[in-house]
Amino acid sequence: MENAIYVKDLVREYDVAKSREKGGKSVLQALKGISFEVNKGEIFGLLGPNGAGKTTTIKILTTMLTSTSGEARVLGYDVNRHEKELRNHINFIFGGERGLYWRLSARDNLMYFSDLYRLDRKTRTKRVPELLEMVGLADRADEKVERYSKGMKQRLQIARGLINDPKVVFLDEPTLGLDPIGARELKGIIKELKSLDKTILLTTHYMLEADELCDRIAIIDKGEIKALDTPDKLKKLNANMSVIEVTTIGISGQAIEELKLVNGVQLVNVQDMDQQQQLQIHCESPSMVVQGVLGVLSQFKVIDMCIREATLEDAYVKLVEGKE
Amino acid sequence: MKLILSSCFLQMQLSFSRSMFRYCLLVDPIFFALITYMIYKDSSVENFIAYVILGTGLSSLFNNIVFSSAGDIDRERYMGTLEMIFTAPGGFRNIILGKIIGNTLLGLLSMLVVVVFLNIFFGVNMKIASPMFFVMAMLLSVVSFIAISLIMAAIFTLSRNSRGLMNCISYPVMILCGFYFPITILPEWSRVFSYILSPTWAVKLLREAVYGIKDYSSFYMESGILLALSAAYIVLFIILAGVMEKRVRVKATLGVY
Ligand SMILES: Nc1ncnc2c1ncn2[C@@H]1O[C@H](COP(=O)(O)OP(=O)(O)OP(=O)(O)O)[C@@H](O)[C@H]1O
Ligand SMILES: [Mg+2]
Repeated sequence: MENAIYVKDLVREYDVAKSREKGGKSVLQALKGISFEVNKGEIFGLLGPNGAGKTTTIKILTTMLTSTSGEARVLGYDVNRHEKELRNHINFIFGGERGLYWRLSARDNLMYFSDLYRLDRKTRTKRVPELLEMVGLADRADEKVERYSKGMKQRLQIARGLINDPKVVFLDEPTLGLDPIGARELKGIIKELKSLDKTILLTTHYMLEADELCDRIAIIDKGEIKALDTPDKLKKLNANMSVIEVTTIGISGQAIEELKLVNGVQLVNVQDMDQQQQLQIHCESPSMVVQGVLGVLSQFKVIDMCIREATLEDAYVKLVEGKE
Repeated sequence: MKLILSSCFLQMQLSFSRSMFRYCLLVDPIFFALITYMIYKDSSVENFIAYVILGTGLSSLFNNIVFSSAGDIDRERYMGTLEMIFTAPGGFRNIILGKIIGNTLLGLLSMLVVVVFLNIFFGVNMKIASPMFFVMAMLLSVVSFIAISLIMAAIFTLSRNSRGLMNCISYPVMILCGFYFPITILPEWSRVFSYILSPTWAVKLLREAVYGIKDYSSFYMESGILLALSAAYIVLFIILAGVMEKRVRVKATLGVY
């Protein structure tokens, strides 16, 4: 079976103007030759930190940008050359509140976008109310978008992105800025899309979201794919790994360096939370390591400490921050 | 075709819901007309009609069509909708054209406001010697303004910093094209620019139609020139749009992030 999305050695460079003194322009390589394939009907996740190149990838695949080199096909169409044919069959949803006409009502937005996609009157009069119903905006469809909450705008974006009944849907951080309930509703809608047999490529930097939704995940960082597999297999990258989680107050940078040198410690990840720091110490056999760790920590106040199995999030942290 | 129409209606709806736009459309031209009226008041009647009504009316129309159309591209960029209309299968060019036609209709309204205002407050009436030809000249003018606007919109899609340019060219065009005074008082060298700018011919034709056409063959000839210039602008737009649609995907100027 033909893939829905095929990406091979994709490179994208941006010209960025440097400061005056340095003079001239320089090139920023946002994608350094990534390759992946997405099967039909699959939910595929691009997971990565800020600036990883997720949005850039989506913009290339949705024909907003061209690639600098490499190959990219969606539904068999070359995105650089056959954009006109492709555009009818895909759509995209960007997280956040932009991309809608705020001064129009939800219904008018959808009406206009259905003209943009050249739907005939019959399809339009049927589909617009259906979509409004699906995203739960039917009873407020005639209010102006500027009065909507973030969650409502986000759901309207989804409806907009489905207006042409696309075969492939691209979602860029769809749950951006939503509260947990809003995010859950949205994830419900995304699962519903899968049941409608659509291929979905979504980006996110929330592991849990990726874990919950995606059939396969590519972890991307600084324009490179670090790992690509099912969530379960990615978790198994860390199969025999454990994490010692320590919450301390006022730990020094030097102590953290010392922790990294403790025998058996593979990685130390530090997260600042107010005055506290949470350390995640990755290792294979915590019982052997814990002694050395406590030795280093003896001069600092330890509030909490636990040992747990590695999760997908740990795998992600390890891939993105581990090898420097 | 349907898309052009709906883009046109959408544009009018969006523009009209901006209070600043309503001001520019309805109030600003009145002040402008007032100033021009005062300046020309004591000159001969002939000048008066031609320069106040045609001058302010046309410049409102021109500014509306050309500059709000171009500014709208920027507005869409900041709303995040430019990327969407750019990739719409309906065709970006049709959408731009629709938007510009929408602004044109609003611009005509603006022109009407000037005429009605001058009529009510100063009892100034526009006597048109050849109404038929006036309508024809008006149509040709509108077409040529739309053509200019298309070119501007293409440039604005490509570049993120063309807003400055937009503000810089408004007055030069009004001067070079003789909106308020005949171009014959301009220096010789500048007339080359005047002649390749289609509004020059538009203003000339309209004025002739108001006063009564003395020489029909030259009127037809000037109409021909206006039409030819407009056609040339449209060809230029088509070429430019092709280039723009490629370049924009390389340069990444559709969005603001
Ligand atoms: N239009 C642009 N011009 C110049 N550089 C850009 C442009 N768009 C993105 N970049 C750069 O390309 C890199 C990748 O950006 P991209 O937006 O693809 O990342 P991302 O993974 O979507 O990040 P985020 O999670 O913050 O949205 C960044 O370093 C960014 O600064
Ligand atoms: Mg992004």
